[in-house]
Amino acid sequence: MEKFIELFAEALEREGEIKMEDEFRNYDEWSSIAYLSVIAMMDEEYDVQIEEAEFKKLRTVQAVYDACTNK
Amino acid sequence: MEKPFNPFSLEGKVIVISGAASGIARQCAINCSKMGAKLILLDLNEEGLKETMTMVERPEEHYWASVNLLDYEKVGGIVKEAVEKVGRINGLLNCAGISTTNLFKLTKPEELDKFFHVNVYTGYFLAQECTKMGNLSKEGGSIVFFSSVAGSFGEVGKSTYGMTKAALLNLAKHLACEMARKNVRVNSISPGAICTPINMNLPHMKDPEKRAALEAQHLLGLGETSDIANACIYLLSDASRWVTGTNLFVDGGFSVR
Repeated sequence: MEKFIELFAEALEREGEIKMEDEFRNYDEWSSIAYLSVIAMMDEEYDVQIEEAEFKKLRTVQAVYDACTNK
Repeated sequence: MEKPFNPFSLEGKVIVISGAASGIARQCAINCSKMGAKLILLDLNEEGLKETMTMVERPEEHYWASVNLLDYEKVGGIVKEAVEKVGRINGLLNCAGISTTNLFKLTKPEELDKFFHVNVYTGYFLAQECTKMGNLSKEGGSIVFFSSVAGSFGEVGKSTYGMTKAALLNLAKHLACEMARKNVRVNSISPGAICTPINMNLPHMKDPEKRAALEAQHLLGLGETSDIANACIYLLSDASRWVTGTNLFVDGGFSVR
């Protein structure tokens, strides 16, 4: 999980704290570029390809983590 | 006492300069240090870098490293180390590059590869390292790619060099879009012919006839390294805070005609 948070922070380029229950779209760093970075991270690091419609359903950091690890 | 008005000040800013062992980049290092910047100087040429370090103000504040910019992994480590020692990066002058005159019909694929790697890829990946989380200042920064008039205007024997310089013009525009959200400005600068020690020994400046022809192309005559360095100070400083994605010709009027 620690590794995931590190990768997620890097994708968002967020230096502030990240908690699993956070709704990541509320972060100041969230943007269309951050979205592309997270999608790329999921693909490269977890071999998970996610459709935009599916990703839109994910609200929290935990949900993204689950999507990465519960293939 | 209130500080005198100086929107061009680089005081407190950390500036990375590639190719700083000679020529325009060395002058950039000297002038930026005079404007108060802390420097991270990179070049393959260690002796040249050491010499540059004897010319800058407050050498004890700066960091320098001899590195092959094509060794991307190593560059990443050096940038990280430099940030730990000097502080987070506010600006980058991507000066490092090579020039050539070669005819289109004689150019081989490996020559093109070499020029794109040295003139384009190194700047691309150095900019990537400098703007990584943890390396870039939280306030954002300013990146300057060194293009050339050859990136916008045609000349016999300059297709290889010119293509790489045109690529940098375009790169600056796209990165300006991508980096604006991080308050990073990205611009390019297009120098005309500059009298550097290396250029002075090349036929186009050494030969009196060729030099006269070259001078005639520049309304204000040939340039000096400080002409470019001072323009860089503008692009690095807060004086250009609303300038991004543009190209600045500093060419003594070459591009007017």
